[in-house]
Amino acid sequence: MKIILEKELFDIKTYITNGGYNAIKKALTMTPQSVIDEVKKSNLRGRGGAGFPTGLKWSFIPKDKSQKYVVCNSDESEPGTFKDREIIHKNPHSIIEGMIIAGYAIGATKGYIYIRGEFVREARIIEKTIYEAKESGYLGKNILNSGFDFDITVVRGAGAYICGEETALLESIEGKQGKPRIKPPFPATKGLFSSPTVINNVETLAAVPYIMIMGGEKYSRIGKEKSSGTKLFSVSGPVNKPGVYEIELGLSFKDFLENYLMGMKDGVKLKAVIVGGSSVPVITADEAMKVNLDYESLSQAGTMLGSGGMIIIGDNQCMVEALYILARFYHHESCGQCTPCREGTGWIYKLLSEILSGKCKEKDIDLLYEIAENMMGRTICPLADALSMPVMSFVKKFRNEFDKHIEGSCEICQR
Amino acid sequence: MPKINVDGKDLIANDGESILNVCERNGIYIPRYCYHPSLSVAGNCRMCLVEIEKMPKLQTACSTIASEGMVVKTDSEKVRKARKDVLEFLLINHPLDCSICDQVGECFLQDYYFTYGLRKSRFKLENKNQKQKRREVGKYLVLDNERCILCTRCVRFSNEVTKTDELFVNSRGDRAFIDISPEKGVTNKYSLNIADICPVGAFTSKDFRFKQRVYMLQTTKSICTLCATGCKINIWHNNNTIYRITPEPNIYTNTWMCDDGRMNYKIVNSSERLTHSMINGTEYNKRQTVKQVFNKLSKAMDDKLRIAVVLSNYLSIEDNISLIYLAKNVLKTPYIFSIESNQQKIEDGILINSDKSPNSNGIKLLVKKYGIKDISEYAEYDIVIGFYEDIKNLRISLVKTILFSYKKSSYPCLIALKTYFETDGSFINWQGYLRKTAKVVNSPENTFDLHHFLMEVSHLFAVYPDFNFKGIIKDLKYKEEGQ
Amino acid sequence: MLGEKIKKNYKSIVEKFEKKESALISLLYEIQKENNYISDGDISELSSLIDMPYSRIKSVLTFYTMFNQKKTGKYHIQVCRNLSCSMSGARNIINFIKENLKINEHEVSDDGLFSYTTVECLGACGSSPVVMINDTYYENMDEKKLRELIDKLRKE
Repeated sequence: MKIILEKELFDIKTYITNGGYNAIKKALTMTPQSVIDEVKKSNLRGRGGAGFPTGLKWSFIPKDKSQKYVVCNSDESEPGTFKDREIIHKNPHSIIEGMIIAGYAIGATKGYIYIRGEFVREARIIEKTIYEAKESGYLGKNILNSGFDFDITVVRGAGAYICGEETALLESIEGKQGKPRIKPPFPATKGLFSSPTVINNVETLAAVPYIMIMGGEKYSRIGKEKSSGTKLFSVSGPVNKPGVYEIELGLSFKDFLENYLMGMKDGVKLKAVIVGGSSVPVITADEAMKVNLDYESLSQAGTMLGSGGMIIIGDNQCMVEALYILARFYHHESCGQCTPCREGTGWIYKLLSEILSGKCKEKDIDLLYEIAENMMGRTICPLADALSMPVMSFVKKFRNEFDKHIEGSCEICQR
Repeated sequence: MPKINVDGKDLIANDGESILNVCERNGIYIPRYCYHPSLSVAGNCRMCLVEIEKMPKLQTACSTIASEGMVVKTDSEKVRKARKDVLEFLLINHPLDCSICDQVGECFLQDYYFTYGLRKSRFKLENKNQKQKRREVGKYLVLDNERCILCTRCVRFSNEVTKTDELFVNSRGDRAFIDISPEKGVTNKYSLNIADICPVGAFTSKDFRFKQRVYMLQTTKSICTLCATGCKINIWHNNNTIYRITPEPNIYTNTWMCDDGRMNYKIVNSSERLTHSMINGTEYNKRQTVKQVFNKLSKAMDDKLRIAVVLSNYLSIEDNISLIYLAKNVLKTPYIFSIESNQQKIEDGILINSDKSPNSNGIKLLVKKYGIKDISEYAEYDIVIGFYEDIKNLRISLVKTILFSYKKSSYPCLIALKTYFETDGSFINWQGYLRKTAKVVNSPENTFDLHHFLMEVSHLFAVYPDFNFKGIIKDLKYKEEGQ
Repeated sequence: MLGEKIKKNYKSIVEKFEKKESALISLLYEIQKENNYISDGDISELSSLIDMPYSRIKSVLTFYTMFNQKKTGKYHIQVCRNLSCSMSGARNIINFIKENLKINEHEVSDDGLFSYTTVECLGACGSSPVVMINDTYYENMDEKKLRELIDKLRKE
């Protein structure tokens, strides 16, 4: 079933014809606390990658009358992830409506949408969407005569994956380098401009209007118990039908691959799957065929649902080269603040380029694994872990390919 | 006041205090680079990671606030491994500069490596990142970006203490480096504090560069005499030579010190230094000088000339007491004056005082005790005795002066003094604290302690001073640290 | 040197934001649009215009990769080099650019029209390989399409 991407709702007219902006109307008749409770009942979990329960996050905001903010994280830079872009193209008003409802629920009068710099076209779509909403009275002062004010400002990023991390994003909006903050304090107490702030992913906010209309309880019965609702998966790699899919959580990967992605293309065999963006541990083809696409099943299989950015890897791709490409990414994107990540990403990247070109020995593969272990859990933000987990899982599960590179006998790379 | 347990010991933390601070107060040292007690918390070096029960990941002690019931381990297996690993990460791109790096002997990398690291290098040298070395930054600093561990103490100092925003981090990842705002360079007057707080040899002092290994130096505590703030300092010296001055951080007067104060030691060997007393163009040794001055004063008294003595805010309490004694008991002249200083306050919001003399408050107390007139009542006199720095503000013909000085100048009668690096003297700073300078090096052979000189002159007049400085100073109303 | 447009418009850009600091990235984009890249001189001028320390602006400029610190071609080609794009032939695209436009990364072609860099994931992996030229995405690229596109741009 599809919820957010059920129809293509490009402009406000089509959106309203299909029930748009009824959710905010409903929310405004409820108390802010009841709105939070409704979202809690839905068991909606953050769709950006961390999977934190959304209702719970909203409930951390203090109930006083101080200035508060809702921030929409539209930084979408996790390799393999391109689902938020789809929502911006096909159903942008759901994001805006979600933000307004969030603002009402936590008592915020201002919202920010932080959108990655490369999404120039998408930023224009968002600006147009905000304009339409404002013109129709859904944004601005005294929305629908409720006494509730809400306004949204778009802030563009400028090419930094790390700004997808909540506190780095706030730093960027505050006009600084995107360096994650030490937590605690958490954004719910001290966020944007030191005020209580809720930061949610595009997809999370887009789900909110639908939850309000159908009711949190009904939403919670879609999918699985601890993985309720639908999730957008953006799939790339040698499959017949890559693209964005909205599926009920709990669907088996086998079913997904065969009946949605229409199997592998051009005779390529499935070798490995990165299920939720490059930062999650990789799983082998065998493991993938046994999992369901939900938080628990994937966690039990030793990986994570993450962002839902699925990268399918076939037997025509060398795993060592794949890991090298990812290490190059994290090395490029590390903010450089803390020692283990700044130095560790560089070390791993350099070591991998030598392993790739056969300039290394067996013990260097063990060293590679150890460096990844030594980075993990010791940094301000999880970027170091985001490299450690691929490194450790690739080395553990595809050790033979690394060994081949030491010997200079990788058939795929021809070196 | 939460109660926590650290390494088996029960400790009481202050409200809002970090684990690192509680431990520090109780003698448990936690290694750190980016943490500095006078700067904001950055938490980026990861060296202070400690184990806290019920928390799955290690936490930085500098940024974690102690809470009731916390159980902390600062020396467990996990912690020791973390420190070893963080050190390894720090060292992979760190250049092997030790043999030419001034930081040796006070380098956090070296020191921690020996205590916590001792791991053989596993990183290939040819892969090391290269960055700019030997950058001249402002008047006093040299920056080596390769040695830098990006703890950002320097950036925080430039933003929070001097508020001059000259330093920043350029780029990201392992390409990041400390950079300087070009229009200004580092021109603030406290730049050398950055060399102090840099835990490695990235920021070093140009003045001290290559001069001496720090472990060859002794430190002697003293005070700065360039202004009324009177910062507490450490003078580093070896073999009768001063090599550098650093502040002695304390809660009463100063955490830092200004660059001018640090450079003040140069007067000792400066070409401007007055090494012999000069009277009418001729150099005299000590014995001759005493005789010359005695003759002049003796004749003046015979001729019933009017002699004035001017106390100096630049000289110690002991020196000024001797001047008062000379005036009252030897010359028997009523013409003794003091000069009121500028209003005392910190003029730049940090340390530099608007009063550029170190002892105005000391003289104020002497004025009260002995009933000394203010310089505004000065009229015309035949001979004026005083410190050279003061006299230039008086309308007086040069011929009539007998001046004390440690710098050469064109005045006809200059008595060569020891600087306060070569003798001890008591001063009272703008806050009212009484402190002493310390003798650190020997002075040129023919220079005087002013109070010794005046005593010798008195003896020639057959007047034998029998006061004791300690006794007189004890009765003055000054402040003591801790009051 | 800051151009006339930004000197006229900077106030209205700053006003769009609650706090002027949030306008910094937008202001830098404006300067880049007018001048092609952002120089030290531009930073100094901007620093005086909006009363923000040079160090603050420069630290932001050098942190974010979409700001050009030196001149680029009229058409700046950014080729994604991340995993999905690499698996579907990004390398061929890069080789094509190197051989046909005769430039290496960060270099500008002799006629000043083209320059290229490799970039990280552009967020359109399902239609890889993805190439971004100035502000526009070109998806499902291959050598043929790229050749046609470059010819078209040359004629403009």
